[in-house]
Amino acid sequence: MTARIDRLGLLLLGLVLLALPVALPMLGAAFWVDIVTEILIWSLLAASVNLLFGYVGLLSFGQALFFGFGMYGAALSVIHWDFGFWTGLLAGVVAATAMAALAGALAVRLTWHYFAIITVVFSLIFYFAAMSTKSLTGGDDGLSFPAPAVLDVAGLTVTLADPLAQYYAVLVVVAACYLVMGLVVKSPLGLNFEAVRENDRRARLIGIDVYRTRLVAFVLAGAIAGVSGALFAFFGRYASASYMFYHVSGEAVVWAIVGGAGTLLGPVFGTGLLIVFRELVSTLWENYLFAVGALTVLVVMFAPGGLAGL
Amino acid sequence: MSDVVLALAINGLVWGLIIALIALGLSIIFGLLDIINVAHGDLFMLGTVGGLAVTVATGSFWLALAVVPVLGFLLGLVLERVVIRPTIRQAALTIVTTFGLSMMLQEAVRATYGAQPRRMAPPIEGTVPLFGIDYDVYRLAAAVFAVVALAAFFLFLQHTKLGTWIRAVRHDPETATALGIPVARICGITFALGTAMAALGGVIAAPITTVEFRTGVDILPFCFMAVVIGGLGNLQGTVAAAILLAVLEGVVTSVTNPTVARIVSLAVMSGVLLFRPHGLFAGATR
Repeated sequence: MTARIDRLGLLLLGLVLLALPVALPMLGAAFWVDIVTEILIWSLLAASVNLLFGYVGLLSFGQALFFGFGMYGAALSVIHWDFGFWTGLLAGVVAATAMAALAGALAVRLTWHYFAIITVVFSLIFYFAAMSTKSLTGGDDGLSFPAPAVLDVAGLTVTLADPLAQYYAVLVVVAACYLVMGLVVKSPLGLNFEAVRENDRRARLIGIDVYRTRLVAFVLAGAIAGVSGALFAFFGRYASASYMFYHVSGEAVVWAIVGGAGTLLGPVFGTGLLIVFRELVSTLWENYLFAVGALTVLVVMFAPGGLAGL
Repeated sequence: MSDVVLALAINGLVWGLIIALIALGLSIIFGLLDIINVAHGDLFMLGTVGGLAVTVATGSFWLALAVVPVLGFLLGLVLERVVIRPTIRQAALTIVTTFGLSMMLQEAVRATYGAQPRRMAPPIEGTVPLFGIDYDVYRLAAAVFAVVALAAFFLFLQHTKLGTWIRAVRHDPETATALGIPVARICGITFALGTAMAALGGVIAAPITTVEFRTGVDILPFCFMAVVIGGLGNLQGTVAAAILLAVLEGVVTSVTNPTVARIVSLAVMSGVLLFRPHGLFAGATR
């Protein structure tokens, strides 16, 4: 029964997302197409936190590191090697995954508070490194690059400069990521994730390699954060070291938990709620971040299971 | 050259003592309530802003030094009651609530005080000769304030009834409840004490740092590092680690730039976490 409702809800969400870029301009809100694109992109960063925290029980405060590697992988490959959208995206994901494998091999030896803090430490090391190697990364000012083509077939060229093309390109990539995550958490590997989350000692006793399970989850989450970073680089045609700061990781944690940790689509709702709220309030009040902070506190107080738990 | 190293090492020591005070606040909150308080850096920031505001309004830095920590204590009592206590059951939730709180505090300061970074004139001007260099008097005074505050805190914890209760609740909340200690109130007071210590650190640091709504963001990771390297829950370890880290950064800064120094201390931190996950001083008393 719940499975049917889930599937129905998913279908509905899919249809709404497909129709939005056509419907919003008709309502005179074309500007919101970009906002929804942004929500989709950021939701992947929240989803990477959720994959680790909600499914494996590891709270990472350093996902901005892999977001940054995805971002720079995409931006630098476009700038220096003339990569297109898809190859640039791949370059970003490869960079983020490689970094996640390296950082994860060390980090998943630790758990809970220690894990949270070592992920912050790793991301800060590379944040400061990126800030100080201005010639490569552009530091705080960042790097800009022109929008590459999404599609270039038989003389038909579609670039990201077209908001509709950009929206659907992002939607395809983001949907593919959620599909992969959905398949993983339902697979035997996903059951191992949950076993490790619930009780790592028992998981070990029934023959699960706890270290390897955590590492696989960490690398997968790093890759997802990398997709998010690469898409965001393409979205803004811009990459900046400031996106590697721990505040970005912290926001992703907030979005994931506000949405509902341990549910596949929770992060989409958490990210959506807070970004839509931010956009609405920011037109009315200069100090809108105060309201965003207050909303965050209130949601956690009154819905400790997140929006998905309501 | 060696003069530069010496000056930077002493700077590091002074900063280390101030950070120790702030990190100790974080550490007692963490040890007693088991929450990761992401807003702690912003409570320090409120201390710097409050210190400057009270000094400008009354013309007396010394009044600010006395008043701001008290205001911090009261703010801490309110925050614990309104924001922390309803979400205390789950540590992950308190990260989110304190993150929201951090946004609110920063934005409140930016709305009322402005976004412009300011500097505050030190209340004591001049330099004194120290180990053959001319050293800023106020920085020495700041170190003394921090040492006095640290000593007072440990004496309070060891020799007063309230201090004993706090240690009892840290040790075993259930037995403490059974013995009639008001555990919920002790938790509130501890959070308020931690807030007051961050605020006091803020007032002391205000004349030697920039005063703006973002200062807390930079100081927070450093405080967490001190808490973890010192060993979670080990208060003396927190103090030692804060001083060690700050002096290390000071000395490394003398041969390279501050960013590289920060990277070095972060690398040291990773090493400690990976090879001595219970802190450098594991086995020390809790």
